[in-house]
Amino acid sequence: MSATLDTEDEILQDFLVEAGEILELLGEQLVDLEKTPEDMDLLNAIFRGFHTVKGGAGFLSLEAMVEICHRAEDVFNILRNGEMTLTPSMMDHFLKVLDILHEQFDQINNGEMPADADADLLAVLDAMTRGETPEAAPEAAVQEPAADDQADAEFEQMIAGMDEAQADADTPAAGSDVITEEEFDNLLDELHGKGKGPTSETDKATAEPKSDEISEDEFDALLDELHGKGKGPTAKSAKAEDEKKSDEINEEEFDALLDQLHGKGKGPTAGKSTPSKAEAVSAAQPEKPAESEPAKVSEQKPAPKKAAAKKADAGAAGKQPVKTVDTTVRVDTKRLDDIMNMVGELVLVRNRLDNLEASLGNEDISKAVSNLDVVTSDLQAAVMKTRMQPVKKVFGRFPRVVRDLARSLNKEIELVMVGEDTDLDKNLVEELADPLIHLVRNSVDHGIEVPDDREKAGKPRTGTITLSASQEGDHIQLTIVDDGGGMDPDSLRKIAVEKGVLDQESAARLEDRECYALIFAPGFSTKKEISDVSGRGVGMDVVKTRIAKLNGTIDIDSIKDTGTTITIKLPLTLAIMPTLMVGVGERMYALPLTSVSEIFQLEENTTNIVDGQLVVMVRNRAMPLFYLNEWLVTDPSERDNSGEQQVVVTHVANQRVGFVVNAVVGQEEVVIKPLGAVLRGLPGFAGATITGDGCIALILDVPSLMKAHGKG
Amino acid sequence: MSEAEDILNNDEIIQWVTFTLDGEIYGIEVIKVQEVLRVTEIAPVPGSPDYVLGIINLRGNVVTVLDTRRRFGLPDHEITDATRIIIIESEDNIVGILVDSVAEVVELKKSVIESSPNVGNDESSRYIAGVATLDGELHILVDINKLLSEEEWSEVADI
Repeated sequence: MSATLDTEDEILQDFLVEAGEILELLGEQLVDLEKTPEDMDLLNAIFRGFHTVKGGAGFLSLEAMVEICHRAEDVFNILRNGEMTLTPSMMDHFLKVLDILHEQFDQINNGEMPADADADLLAVLDAMTRGETPEAAPEAAVQEPAADDQADAEFEQMIAGMDEAQADADTPAAGSDVITEEEFDNLLDELHGKGKGPTSETDKATAEPKSDEISEDEFDALLDELHGKGKGPTAKSAKAEDEKKSDEINEEEFDALLDQLHGKGKGPTAGKSTPSKAEAVSAAQPEKPAESEPAKVSEQKPAPKKAAAKKADAGAAGKQPVKTVDTTVRVDTKRLDDIMNMVGELVLVRNRLDNLEASLGNEDISKAVSNLDVVTSDLQAAVMKTRMQPVKKVFGRFPRVVRDLARSLNKEIELVMVGEDTDLDKNLVEELADPLIHLVRNSVDHGIEVPDDREKAGKPRTGTITLSASQEGDHIQLTIVDDGGGMDPDSLRKIAVEKGVLDQESAARLEDRECYALIFAPGFSTKKEISDVSGRGVGMDVVKTRIAKLNGTIDIDSIKDTGTTITIKLPLTLAIMPTLMVGVGERMYALPLTSVSEIFQLEENTTNIVDGQLVVMVRNRAMPLFYLNEWLVTDPSERDNSGEQQVVVTHVANQRVGFVVNAVVGQEEVVIKPLGAVLRGLPGFAGATITGDGCIALILDVPSLMKAHGKG
Repeated sequence: MSEAEDILNNDEIIQWVTFTLDGEIYGIEVIKVQEVLRVTEIAPVPGSPDYVLGIINLRGNVVTVLDTRRRFGLPDHEITDATRIIIIESEDNIVGILVDSVAEVVELKKSVIESSPNVGNDESSRYIAGVATLDGELHILVDINKLLSEEEWSEVADI
C-alpha cells in the first residue's frame, strides 16, 4: 500500500472536513426524516452519509467510528429497502448515534483516538438490523440473496482472474499502467450496480476528488471486501477508502479483470462501460505492447447502449457533483481575512483619492478616479461574497434543537425555516449561532404552550416557530416568530417591579413595546421555575450584548395569546462599517450608523434640566442630551459650545440618547482598525479608522461610551 | 579549549539603537525596532493614560504612541526637529515611543553590560535592563517588555 505515513495528516484533515460536513448534514436530514419517514431520497442520503463517514474512518483505522457507522448504515439499509419503518424511538437512537459520532469527531479533532460507542446502543442497532418488523422482511430477503449470490459468484471469478494476472506480472510496479478514476468508477458501478444500483453514485462524488489511481493490492482488498461481505453497499466504503489512497492498478490485471467480467457473458453487468471508457483504456495503453487491446475494445463495444439505459436508471446524479467539486477550493479563513483587510486599505485609498479629486478638479483624473471607484466597489463586493456563507449553516442545527426540546417538554412544535440561502459574513454566521439557539430555545420553552392549552385556546395542537432570514438593503434581517402565548405587558411590568429592575411609577409609564424590551434586562426572567432550558434571566441579556457586539439590533414584539416576534438586524459584514463622521472639538469621530437614528440642529430654548440631567424635547418627548466634547475633549478650555451645534440621536439599549457635536461631516464607510494592546479595553471606542484625508478618527462605541460617562 | 576562551567566544554581541531623553543616552535592542519615524500627526485618545500620546497612522495600521518621557517620570519637552517615534515590536504588539532624538546603532558585548544599579523608587529604573559604558558615556539599556509589561496594560484596561 502506498498510503505513506507522511500524508496521513493531510488525509486525516480531509476526512475531518468532509466528515464534519456530513455529520452536520446528517443532523438536519435525520430530523427531516422524522417528518417524512417514507422519503426514499432522504433515506438514501442518510445511508450514504453514514457510509461515507464509515469509509473514511475505516481507512484511517478509527475502529470505534467504523463500528457505529457500520451499524447505523445497516439499519438504514434495511429502512430504505422498506423492510422496516421508522419509529420515533428508533429516531432517538439514531440521534444518539449522531451525538456519539460528534463526540468521537471532537476526540479525533483533539488528536485522540475516538472512544468506543456505548455497547447498549450498538446492541440496539444490531437488534434493529435483525429486523423488528418481520412481515416486511421476507420479500426483500428473497430479492437480496439472489442479487448477492450473483454478485458473489462474479466476484469470485474476478478474483480468480486477478490472481492469475498477478502471477503473470513479475514487475508490477514498473509495468503498471494507470487506470483513470473514471474507468474505475465505471467498473465499480458495474459491480455495484448489480446489487444495489442507485446508491453507488452519489457517494462516489464525495470520494472522488481525492481519488487518483488504484493499486493492485488495494483493488484486491476491495474485491475481497466485496466478496467477503457479499453485499453491494460495502463496496462503496472500500471504494471511498481506496480512492483516497490513490494508487495504480496494473494494466494486465485490469485487462484480466475486464475480460473476466465480460467473459462471464452477462452483458448487462459488464457492459456498463461506456464508449468513452473504452477509449480511455486504449488511450492509456500505448506505452505497452497492445496485444490484447483490440480484442478488449471490441469486446466492450456491444455494451454501451445498455450501459446508457442502466445509467439512466441508476440516476445520473453521480457525475454532476463531480464537476461542482472540481470548481471549489478550500481557502483558509485567515487568508480571506487578509484579502479583506487589503481591500479595506484600497477602499481607504479610494476615499482619499476621491477627496483629492474634488480639490483638483481635473477632468482626466476625475474619470480615472471614478473608474477606480467602480472597480474598487466591485472588488469589495466580490471579496465580501467570498466570505459569505448561507445562514443555513446556523439554521441547520435548529430542527434538532427544536425537536429534542419539544420532545422533552412534551410539546408539539413545527419549525419552519425561510430564506436559508441568505448569505452572511462568515464571522457573523459563527457569532450568531449561540444567540439564535438561545432565542429559539426560549421560543420553544416560553413561547409555545403545551398542546392541551393550545387546544383550549382554540389553536392547533402543534405550535409553529418560523425562523426566517432575508437581506434588506445593506443589512440582514432575522426573525423568529412563534404562535405561542405571547407576552403580557402588565405582568412584565409587575415582574420588573418585583425584581427591582424598575420602580412602580416608571414601570407604569412604559409603553407596551418597551415592556417587551424588559426581558433583555439582566436578571429578568418571567419563568417562575428555573429549568435546565431557560429561566435564569441571564440569557436574553447576553443575547442582546452579543448582537450589539455585531453592530446589530434586536427588537421584540408580542401580542398576548397570539405569539411573539423577535427581529434581529445585522450588518452584512463586520469588516467594513458604515459610520457617521462627526466633529467634536478639533477632531473627527466616527459613530456607527446602525446606532444613529436622526440628526437635528440644537436650538437653545429646547433644552431643560430634569433631575440634574440635560434633556431636549423631541416631538414632545424628553430625551437625555450629552455634550460629547465634555467626554472627548480633555482640556476644558478647548470645548467650544458656541456656533451651530447638531444633535445626533442614537439608540442605546432601547433608549434614545442625543449627543451634541460641533459638526456633522457626513457618512463614510470605514475599515475598523483595532486599537493596540496598550489601549485595548479602553471604554468608549470600538477602534480607529483612517479617514479619506489620511487622518485618524476614533470609532465611538455608543453603549460603552454611555457606560463609562453617562448615567443612562 | 580553555575556559576563558570559551567565555570569550560565547560573549554575545548585541546591537542597540540609542536614543536620547533629557540628555541621557538610552538603548533598546535593535531586533525590537521596526523603524524610526519623524513625528507625524498624533491623534489623542480621550480617556487613555497620560503616558499614551495617542495613535498614528502607520501605512494604514493604527499604532499607539507612548510618551517615553512621561513613562520614565521625566519632565515634558517640546517636540523638536530631532524628535522621533521609534516603532517597536514587542510580543506581537506594535507600539511607537516618542524620544528626543535617535542617535545610532552601537554594539555591546554582553559582558560589558552591568545589571542596573538599584536606585530604588526612581520611575525609570523599573524599565532598565542594565547599563553599559561606551566611549566614556553611560548607556541606559531599556527592557522593552517591561516598558509595556502586562501589568501596565491591565492598569490601562482598568481605567
